[in-house]
Amino acid sequence: MPETQHEVFPKDPSKTYGLMELVKGTSPMVDKGPEDTVTSWPRLLILEGLLMLGTIVLLLVWSYLVNAPLRELANPDVTENPAKAPWYFLNLQELLLHMHPALAGVIIPTVMVILLMAVPYIDRDRRDIGIWFASKKGKTVAMWAGAYTFVLVVALVLFDEFVRVRSLVSNPWWMPGVVVPVGIILVLSVLLYLIIRRWRPNTREVLVGFFTAFVVTYIVLILFGTLFRGLGMRLIWPWNMPPGGLTF
Amino acid sequence: MNRLSALLINLRNSRVWTSIFRSGYPDNDEKRSLVMVNSLFLHLHPVKVKKNTLKATYTFGLGIIAFFLFLVLVVTGVWLMFFYVPSVERAYSDIQALETSVTFGMLMRSMHRWAAHLMVLTVFLHLCRVFFTGGYKHPREFNWVLGVVLWIVTLLLSFTGYLLPWDQLSYWAITVGTNMIGSAPFIGDMVRLLLLGAKEVGQEALIRFYTLHIAILPLVMTILISVHFWRVRKDGGLSSPEEGAAVEREG
Ligand code: HEM
Repeated sequence: MPETQHEVFPKDPSKTYGLMELVKGTSPMVDKGPEDTVTSWPRLLILEGLLMLGTIVLLLVWSYLVNAPLRELANPDVTENPAKAPWYFLNLQELLLHMHPALAGVIIPTVMVILLMAVPYIDRDRRDIGIWFASKKGKTVAMWAGAYTFVLVVALVLFDEFVRVRSLVSNPWWMPGVVVPVGIILVLSVLLYLIIRRWRPNTREVLVGFFTAFVVTYIVLILFGTLFRGLGMRLIWPWNMPPGGLTF
Repeated sequence: MNRLSALLINLRNSRVWTSIFRSGYPDNDEKRSLVMVNSLFLHLHPVKVKKNTLKATYTFGLGIIAFFLFLVLVVTGVWLMFFYVPSVERAYSDIQALETSVTFGMLMRSMHRWAAHLMVLTVFLHLCRVFFTGGYKHPREFNWVLGVVLWIVTLLLSFTGYLLPWDQLSYWAITVGTNMIGSAPFIGDMVRLLLLGAKEVGQEALIRFYTLHIAILPLVMTILISVHFWRVRKDGGLSSPEEGAAVEREG
């Protein structure tokens, strides 16, 4: 065999450095075959370019077809009815109908943000990184937690509209304003945990259940606030919505 | 070879061209690396990515889409600034004029508005994607925390912009929203006063929301997004099931 065939890493005469030796060590790519990675040029860049084009085209078409809303000049003397926050805050405004404003507008959102930030410090098992819903079990947990939350949130909103907690307990103010809502949230969370426990989940799978419950609550309340709250923030069907009721 | 391609080749070899694009067309792995590290805009990317990163059903491209929407918002937003004065007397009529007598005014305003809503939606979906794939796990804990802050800044940017058209929709939405803030125990009234600059939504609130919307929050957002992207790279690129498997192997 000619000599040159053994020279896998020829030293470039114009360089002051060269590859001397291969050593074993730990780096993010150790133990992984080269087939696990591809160069960013062109694969990643093409995908990003396509996403950019798609986003722009969608936006252009949508904006061409649907104009941004503009209502009458602001008038502090004429209260809008219903007076709604922008759609992405309507879940908080929905809570406002059922509990003390400090709880709905500040305390619950703050607690949720802190809990969200704490997630990576609670679930520290790295074995299921990158797997959607952690496992098959996780998927089952997510599905049931989602269905459970959906049914209960809808039921609670309807109950408070048609039966009204305040007509059952109104005194002192902190009973319907704080104790009842906090009590309901705590009891239903414990119940959710007890249900999830049936599947003998690990920490991540429990979190998947609770996060699903959070997302479902978040979305269902936005939908209630956006589509089903009309004059005086009473429940109505979406097709009866007054024009000021859609805050996009 | 025809004249056009000869011209192109000459252009490619010219001093001007090679002074801008140093490594030539990336047709081998060395040049594919060089093209990434030599460009300010591309160097945020690693030279190589895991195949998993490119899987549509892993990221759904949501982070990138959120970023592009932010860019669209900056461009259309700066454009809108040419035609808008944040005063109670002028804001509303400026928007009306924008819609009726400025070329592409209606389109640009609509794009800014819809892109903002779409960004709120996309960022939330991205948050869900990262959660459900376990993308927050070590070593990405801090990037997740940063992400939660990005989510809040996105909401605040959208909320501060909502007041600017000064119509009934914006006036009452901001009134309802800031009343909610005002209900916070102990500090609520103070924060509300700080935001509105007065007891009610008026000129003081408009100029504060405007300044937050066009200067402070976009700056904060730009810095946070930069750190977010930097951390994605420093944390070894995107998460993938490979990492979990490696942990399993090492026990
Ligand atoms: C302005 C808002 C945001 C932008 C522009 C943004 C952008 C990005 C981009 C481009 C990526 C690369 C992968 C992908 O596209 O999924 C990424 C990854 C990531 N983002 Fe965001 N993001 C934003 C908000 C958030 C939020 C709200 C969270 C979570 C609370 C978050 C947490 C993360 C984490 C942990 C990663 C790494 C995920 C992994 O390695 O799998 N980001 N982000």
